[in-house]
Amino acid sequence: MKKKVLLVDDSNTVLLMEKMILAKGPYEIVIARDGAEAIVKAHSEQPDVILLDVVMPKLDGLSACAAIRQHETTAHIPIIMVTTRGEEHNIETAFRNGCTDYVTKPINGLELLAKLQNVLGAGMAKVSA
Amino acid sequence: MKRTEFLDKVANDTRAYVQSLIDETQRLGKMVAELEIERDHRVAREAMLQERLDAIETESRKYAERYVEVEQQNTNLANLYVASYQLNGTLDRERVIAAVQEIVINLIGSEELAIWEVEEELNALSLIGSFGIDADQWSAIPIGSGMIGKVAETGSRFVVDEALFAPEDREESLTACIPLKLDDKVVGVIGIFRLLQQKPGLEDVDYELFDLLGSHAASALFCTSLHSRWAEQMQ
Repeated sequence: MKKKVLLVDDSNTVLLMEKMILAKGPYEIVIARDGAEAIVKAHSEQPDVILLDVVMPKLDGLSACAAIRQHETTAHIPIIMVTTRGEEHNIETAFRNGCTDYVTKPINGLELLAKLQNVLGAGMAKVSA
Repeated sequence: MKRTEFLDKVANDTRAYVQSLIDETQRLGKMVAELEIERDHRVAREAMLQERLDAIETESRKYAERYVEVEQQNTNLANLYVASYQLNGTLDRERVIAAVQEIVINLIGSEELAIWEVEEELNALSLIGSFGIDADQWSAIPIGSGMIGKVAETGSRFVVDEALFAPEDREESLTACIPLKLDDKVVGVIGIFRLLQQKPGLEDVDYELFDLLGSHAASALFCTSLHSRWAEQMQ
């Protein structure tokens, strides 16, 4: 069964890159281009996991992450932050806002797939095996 | 019972008992021999299984390494595809410049970059796009001045990892400077300064991206100029 992944980024380059990395796997892709749209799509699409950029227009990824965590219907969805800021304090802030895990840019395909499988759990490993 | 009869009985019983002990010893000896044979078979089978297991583990490790290699190649190819697609997907000058910036930020991994175009009349480079740097400081660079000016003059890229020693005229924190070329003519330059903190250094795919940017960004920018001229004429 395909897992639904919500990709959130304002950069076409990153979205295209993420789509290409996930294209081989059992994933259904949904896209949002800013934090506000991410919150709406998290509610309406109920994805299995969200890949969330940090720096975005309208509403940044950290605020969107906190909002998604606060709402009952979306609080359980794992969120992987995608960040250019790899410094420790930035990562800590992301975790404080409720992210499950993070990857840094430039995105490494293997790392992203491994973290996705990790947050999606054992069922995912069977699907992809 | 008479004494002799009793002694005979004891002797007979003793003989029978000794015989039964001898039979039992022989039976046990046979069993031990059979068990030893079985044990030897087991040891041999275990050794064979261990050998197969080792072979499978080695093969499995090889597959895992190959998987990592293939995935890395896939990511690299995806990088190049995305970069090429983004550069050639528009005739809008601002979008081409934005695409170059996105490629450097998201695929190469630097948030300090500048894009210059050659101004032939001024014999200088003129800044057309930047991110994370002081644009005023880098707005114009005479051709031949500093490492960036030299790249524009010679058409040879500069990458700090490729330099045998740090050139004296290298701009501070300049990691790479890529000439944008149409045929062999330099029409611009991309300067990449500090890499992102989590990026320890340039990788093979970054050099491929430099080559791709060098040719595709130049032609993409040239196409936008042609297109805007054509659009003006059509009006």
